[in-house]
Amino acid sequence: MITKEKLKDYAAKLMFDMDDEGYDRTLEEFETVEKHMALIGEIENIENIEPMTFPYVIYHADLREDVACDCLTNDEVLANAKETKANQVKVPKVVGE
Amino acid sequence: MKTIVDLRNDLDNKVVTSDELFEKANKLAHKYQDEFNPFVTIIDEKIEEESNSILSGIPYAIKDNFSTKGILSTASSNILKDYVPVYDATAYKKLKEAGCVLVGKTVLDELAMGGTGTTGHTGIVRNPWNKNRQIGGSSAGSAAAVALGIVPFSLGSDTGDSIRKPAAFGGVVGFKPTYGRISRYGLFAFASSLDHVGCFTRCVRDAAIVTDILKGKDERDMTSLPDEKVKYVDMVDNDIKGKKLFYIKELTDLDLYKDAGEETLEVLRKFKETIEKCKNIGFEVEEVSFDEKLLKAIYPAYMTISCAEATSNNSNLTGIPFGPRGEGSNINEIMFDARTKGFSELIKRRFILGSYILQRENQERLFKNAGRLRRIIVDKMNELYKKYDAMILPASGGVAPTFDCEIDRMSPRYLMLENHMAIGNFGGFPSITIPNGFVSDMPIGINITGRCFEDGLTLNIANKIEEVLGFKGIVKEEYDV
Repeated sequence: MITKEKLKDYAAKLMFDMDDEGYDRTLEEFETVEKHMALIGEIENIENIEPMTFPYVIYHADLREDVACDCLTNDEVLANAKETKANQVKVPKVVGE
Repeated sequence: MKTIVDLRNDLDNKVVTSDELFEKANKLAHKYQDEFNPFVTIIDEKIEEESNSILSGIPYAIKDNFSTKGILSTASSNILKDYVPVYDATAYKKLKEAGCVLVGKTVLDELAMGGTGTTGHTGIVRNPWNKNRQIGGSSAGSAAAVALGIVPFSLGSDTGDSIRKPAAFGGVVGFKPTYGRISRYGLFAFASSLDHVGCFTRCVRDAAIVTDILKGKDERDMTSLPDEKVKYVDMVDNDIKGKKLFYIKELTDLDLYKDAGEETLEVLRKFKETIEKCKNIGFEVEEVSFDEKLLKAIYPAYMTISCAEATSNNSNLTGIPFGPRGEGSNINEIMFDARTKGFSELIKRRFILGSYILQRENQERLFKNAGRLRRIIVDKMNELYKKYDAMILPASGGVAPTFDCEIDRMSPRYLMLENHMAIGNFGGFPSITIPNGFVSDMPIGINITGRCFEDGLTLNIANKIEEVLGFKGIVKEEYDV
């Protein structure tokens, strides 16, 4: 059974948090979600079907030739980073001072 | 209201210049922005590349989840509120090279995850036909920009019906071609196995013109399809006599809607009238039965697959290489803070659902079963397509909802008629919505979904139906300037 603590755990794994009311609304929503999901389980013999992860079957996919092509410059890659240093994105040290 | 073809003629005959077209579009964009909010960014400086294509000099708008180099691209989310891409989406690049003139980046439901046009970080989009109503989503601003007559076409994306539903609510044409027909490179991914690039236009012919420019193999998108070297615009006038259409009994039989509201009943009555008109011009149209259990399971399966894929696709939004940086003493805290502040509550609820679906103990029961349901439905459709050329259905069970409808939360009520268009995403089928008249003074649409890879035939069928319906290019009188 889904609990508020489990929801907080899922959110933490996804690296965000919500306020308490947000978790309450999510919990309420899960009741509806489970009812909806149960409709899928009602389909007869569904477990015997191979899941579909792509709209249609592609029998072969072309790979391009292994030659270098245009790529972003260093400046372009760093253009949106808020802190940079020595051509890299700067973040706090992993180990302390 | 002028179509692309009309504007092309005007440009070629020097009735108007592309500068004048841009100035007019820019003026209208500013005029309607406060009232209807279609744009995140309005481009005030005309940028046009030399081209002799049919779209050269034509103004357009593009949804703000397409990467446009040097132009803010937010996906209508605070987590990208200051993001300026360093590369172009292929679809945008192709339109630039065709000489199209960008008028603005349009509002969407945040990260394309919504169907109301109300969850974008810069505010709600109002329906040009009635300001107290939604225009649907997620491609809300793109639909509104065409419905208001600001531009003759715009680009959107469609993962569950995000072009085809707002097209119905906005009284315009919305086309989602076969999966892979238009490259998704540079489209911010929502659910990669369901995402499609498509367009809004004033008529089916224009949708064919735009798709002709956009289609083709892209080395940067390995799911893109080779160009078949045909032009869809050359196919839209083909004879359709003997082409076979089907509609689903369980979605359209009035006897099954005894407790429905008058709006729904009127939508269905108009749909039946449309069926007769189709027969009168030479289509063979038949009613087929579709297991109601499958139809009811479409929405849950769509939510399962899309939330799971979205949770994964959006894990790159950390505020480190781009986006507003969070605060914290270590990298984990910084990412946590950025994501907590940057995503709205609705998006967080969707991601939590996606995470729940992907937990090891739930994968079989939820994620894999949704994939199985997807295959059952797609197989059933492909079986039907051995006999029929297209499916035709109402695009929605009613008109555009008012803003005080329950909009934010997942509704306990599910309406099969509201969610069938996800079939087009499950199987990658080409699918188009065209106007089908009015109910309660609001536009309604019908949806035509064809066989995979047969975009030309689907556009041909839609064009012939559009001709006989008589609602081509409908526009509210005050916008028809």
